[in-house]
Amino acid sequence: MRILLVEDDVMLGDGIRAGLKLADYAVDWVHDGEAARLALLDHAYQACVLDLGLPKRDGLSVLKELRQRGNPLPILILTARDSSADKIAGLDAGADDYLTKPFDLLELQARLRALIRRAGGTSTPILEHAGVMLDPASKRVTRDGQPVPLSAREYALLHDLLSHKQHIRSRSQLEESLYAWGEETGSNTVEVYIHQLRKKLGADFIRTVRGLGYRLDDTR
Amino acid sequence: MPGTAPGMSGQSLRWRLLRAVFATAFLVWGLIAILSYGQARHEAEELMDGHLAQSARLLLALIRDNESHLADLATRLALARSSEDRPYESPLEFQIGRADGSLLLRSEYAPASSLAAAPGYENIAHHGHPWRVLTIAAPSDDYRVQVAQSIDLRDRAALEVASKTVLPIALISPLLLLLIYFSVRRGLKPLDDLAADVAARSPENLKPLARRTAPREVQPLLAALNRLLARLADALDKERRFTADAAHELRTPLAVVKVQAQVAQLSRNPDDRQHALQQIVCGADRAARVLEQLLRLARLDPLAELPSAGKVDLGELARRLLVETAVTADAGSVHLQASATPLLVRGDGELLEIVLRNLLDNALRYTPPGTQVTLFVQRRNGDILLGVADDGPGVAPEELSRLAERFYRGRDAHAEGSGLGLAIVQRIAELHAACLEVENLSGGGFEARLRWVGSAGVP
Repeated sequence: MRILLVEDDVMLGDGIRAGLKLADYAVDWVHDGEAARLALLDHAYQACVLDLGLPKRDGLSVLKELRQRGNPLPILILTARDSSADKIAGLDAGADDYLTKPFDLLELQARLRALIRRAGGTSTPILEHAGVMLDPASKRVTRDGQPVPLSAREYALLHDLLSHKQHIRSRSQLEESLYAWGEETGSNTVEVYIHQLRKKLGADFIRTVRGLGYRLDDTR
Repeated sequence: MPGTAPGMSGQSLRWRLLRAVFATAFLVWGLIAILSYGQARHEAEELMDGHLAQSARLLLALIRDNESHLADLATRLALARSSEDRPYESPLEFQIGRADGSLLLRSEYAPASSLAAAPGYENIAHHGHPWRVLTIAAPSDDYRVQVAQSIDLRDRAALEVASKTVLPIALISPLLLLLIYFSVRRGLKPLDDLAADVAARSPENLKPLARRTAPREVQPLLAALNRLLARLADALDKERRFTADAAHELRTPLAVVKVQAQVAQLSRNPDDRQHALQQIVCGADRAARVLEQLLRLARLDPLAELPSAGKVDLGELARRLLVETAVTADAGSVHLQASATPLLVRGDGELLEIVLRNLLDNALRYTPPGTQVTLFVQRRNGDILLGVADDGPGVAPEELSRLAERFYRGRDAHAEGSGLGLAIVQRIAELHAACLEVENLSGGGFEARLRWVGSAGVP
């Protein structure tokens, strides 16, 4: 799960990034509106945490432009502006959620989970496929009721696949979802994590679609 | 006015107007009454005098015809007099005699006035009442006739005439007063409307009052009110912005503290926890700094003048600060450029130290590492200058004028700071009758200074 964090305050951005990383999100952090605009053009994110008062380009303008392009990315505004008028303006500009500073990290994580879940078209918080259940809130994975211990990357990969059950996910898409900027590692790391997931969840849980990527097996 | 509650100081305009109009009306009625009484009296007097003269001449004529029967005449005259008892025919008293004063005949109640007096009218008192007496002499001057009549009656008649003039006015006066009252009320209605308009406003509504419908006399007041409202709205707006900005500046470090505290709680990685704890300390420091600056500004704001002003040697101040800074800052990058002779200004040493501290802080905070920062105290063209210059990248020209605005930080400023430093410097400069100047240096870099214009310093 890759998230764009737009926050101009260095100390606060550092804290939010650390907090989101704890929830196993890959976090790209930009400090101004212009950088946010470019990042949103170039990368696929699962959600965006957006500050409003930003250098170079205001958060609302970034948001409006994104929506004008028809991008449905879940956006959570995180700002010190707490008046009703500001909240209304933010939500009407296309934000999906609005949180004011200071905020609770756990609440921010929960709201992001909810936003990502709804963006995936599911209403139940638990993601499920072929006896494998993933609870984003507790980050617990079970297979036929038995807990399956996963590493952070394995979990993130499984979460991505479960969130896009109907789609084939290319290796680059999975990489983008797994890693923040500056984290890109070896070219075969996705294969390594797929391999490990197959060991833990069953060899035919994830199917390889030759030349295209991976998808969850739907024959069972 | 409806808004004029009892006990409210200041007089009601309506009552002032009403009192003045009522008083004028009563005065005019009084004058009319007095004048018409005087006029009536005058007319009555002339009438009476004419009547007296006529009666006297009549008597004289009668005497001439009845010289031999004077006694008889007296009886007939008495009869004629007593037969009449009408209010406006007061008994005519008379005396008839000769020119030498000897009395031939007199009515019963005639005043005992001498017949020898010169002919003509005379006012006398008779039985405690004023009487009008006319003495005439026959052309041959053998007989004298004196007729007299009480004036009371005449005055009564005059009074009656006067009261007949005044009474109708007095009777319609309540109606008149009522009309005046309503006219005044109606005339002052625009004021009432205005008051109602103002009273019905919510405290947030500082929009100008509508001037189109207001009477011309109220226009200056309205214009002044609207100017005041505009100033108030401006001040309120500033206040609101300041509060919002202050809240923002405090919320951000608090948010830092909270989120890093939670990261420290949740993280299992010792390094991450250590980093988060470190950030908590920094966040708390930052909140404390913002608070300190806010308080400083709040204390400086209401001051009209320096609370304690004395002679301050700026060179000495700068040298002291440099020694202190050397301990905390990257000592190599700060230089002092101070004139050897003491430069004295009248001011508050502590506040001027804050100025230098803030300018120095800005220079170090908003420039890349390794930037040369110069603290200078000098006299230039007769002005005394105190400031800080750096050879950093400078400030975008369009931002220069906004630098001293409260909470304004450069658009691209990532360095944390409250945005209050220069605002505080500006305020202290005002209190010292100095001006704050900021400019990009021609050779690159930025300079902020206080200038005491044409100051000869303190002797």
